[in-house]
Amino acid sequence: MEYVNPEGLRLDGRRFSEMRQIVAEIGVVSKADGSALFEMGNTKVIAAVYGPREIQNKSQQKIDRALVLCEYSMAHFSTGDRRRQKNDRRSTELSLVIRQTMEACILTELMPHSQIDIFLQVLQADGGTRSACINAATLALADAGIPMRDLAVSCSAGYLNSTPLLDLNYVEDSAGGADVTVGILPKLDKVTLLQMDAKLPMETFETVFALASEGCKAIAERIREVLLENTKQLEYRRGAA
Amino acid sequence: MVGLSVGEQHFLKGGIAQDLRADGRKRLTYRPIYVETGVIPQANGSARVKIGGTDVIASVKAEIGRPSSLQPDKGKVAVFIDCSPTAEPTFGGRGGEELSSELALALQKCLLGGKSGAGAGIDLSSLLIKEGRVCWDLYIDGLVISSDGNLLDALSAAIKAALTNTAIPKVQVSAEMADDEQPEIDISDEEYQQFDTSSVPVIITLTKVGAHYIVDATAEEESQMSSAVSISVNRVGHICGLTKRGGSGLDPSVILDMISVAKHLSESLMNKLDSEISAAEACEDEDLLKCKRAGTLLTRLISFLYSIVSGSLFKVKKHNKLHEDCDILGGEMRIEVMRSAKI
Repeated sequence: MEYVNPEGLRLDGRRFSEMRQIVAEIGVVSKADGSALFEMGNTKVIAAVYGPREIQNKSQQKIDRALVLCEYSMAHFSTGDRRRQKNDRRSTELSLVIRQTMEACILTELMPHSQIDIFLQVLQADGGTRSACINAATLALADAGIPMRDLAVSCSAGYLNSTPLLDLNYVEDSAGGADVTVGILPKLDKVTLLQMDAKLPMETFETVFALASEGCKAIAERIREVLLENTKQLEYRRGAA
Repeated sequence: MVGLSVGEQHFLKGGIAQDLRADGRKRLTYRPIYVETGVIPQANGSARVKIGGTDVIASVKAEIGRPSSLQPDKGKVAVFIDCSPTAEPTFGGRGGEELSSELALALQKCLLGGKSGAGAGIDLSSLLIKEGRVCWDLYIDGLVISSDGNLLDALSAAIKAALTNTAIPKVQVSAEMADDEQPEIDISDEEYQQFDTSSVPVIITLTKVGAHYIVDATAEEESQMSSAVSISVNRVGHICGLTKRGGSGLDPSVILDMISVAKHLSESLMNKLDSEISAAEACEDEDLLKCKRAGTLLTRLISFLYSIVSGSLFKVKKHNKLHEDCDILGGEMRIEVMRSAKI
């Protein structure tokens, strides 16, 4: 199966280092403290943040920092075939992974005795769902005004037909090649998430990792633009601009 | 949701008694309704409905199945609702299950009629392919993204829009097989049959607060309700289903009055919905045309190659194939399509 044709074009016409189209929107769930819609190609994710608010379960309370809870759920219609169990292992694992990534970048020490809920709802899944979720969560947290060290951004990259490929979609992901998901804090230049499946030789891994980090930096730029645009809108509405 | 203070409760109830609700509406006025169709490209039909702060998505997926032995001449329809925790933190984990099953049951009853299949809003025999052997199974999935009251009305409107948007591929049954063998079926990629949704009912929920009832209650108003009656009415004016919620008892004459109010409102709601749905469908078709016109030979070649590859891997709905092809161009094209599709 040829995933990269001789001209260097992938199945959907992209080049090896080209990301899918990104659409980012803030404030989609009016009731939540902060919310965002993030799309990477056909992968669509909504993130809603409720918090900081009073802790619901006193036994889980932390005295010196905020408690961060995360729940990842996929809609029944999100994948091609309509199967979706609510608490399956993949959802639990992703909830944990995303929670740990976001917890590392939220300044939890500023909000002791409180709880921050991050809810992620996948509307369409076409590969790269965990990256889209992390990016959406970052936007939603910024919309909620929760203090963060940096914007956590994530992107995936793979290796097929001897070419490193940026931002895999579902077809490329299920091809059996390696899939490296990287989450970084761009300004601090720190890695908060690194996951890989299948196997890669060491030099190839470094190339793929570098490609994914480049993708992350591009996403960070985009997220910053969206947040700036949103702030300008708010200023305009307040009559300050 | 944060509770309301005594002062706020008085304000809400007093306003409703004076026919001036908290957001300025009259008792029997709906909030603005926005409909967007074709939001889930991989489903056979989908729609997103926003009524004020309530935001729901409905999708319809058709799969080949076997008719039940009790009704071998009909297809099957199942309704599932999922309340996303993004709407309400309490829906996280298993918290939303009770509400989800309550909503799903109410919608199933109003759409599919009784156990014998009589009085169904959807013509189930149109889903049949071969009697007793092959039929279409329709899975209607609803997702509540944001909840600000009146979920049942929004979901029924979304399901009606999604069914209008649904295109089921035409099927040819090839070769006559022996009774116990599965017949070979050929699913067409080109021809689709649209659904006839003129008899699909809509649900109108009337919420009783104090001595008056209001339509399209917000979450705050619902918290003050004594009881609510959800009535499903079809185009002809017939009642297709009735549910009463809430602990307080209602005088039978009040219920009859509510039913007549609902019937009266259903006409305007149906007309509004139909016009919104056709506007949304026209919007979607326009976007596809825009893509077609601006496409170059290279794009057509790339999309041709893509369709060959993807056609063999998973079903590509023809209706939205061009929409997907637009992604190949990336850049302005996709943004243009997105902007014009947003309502």
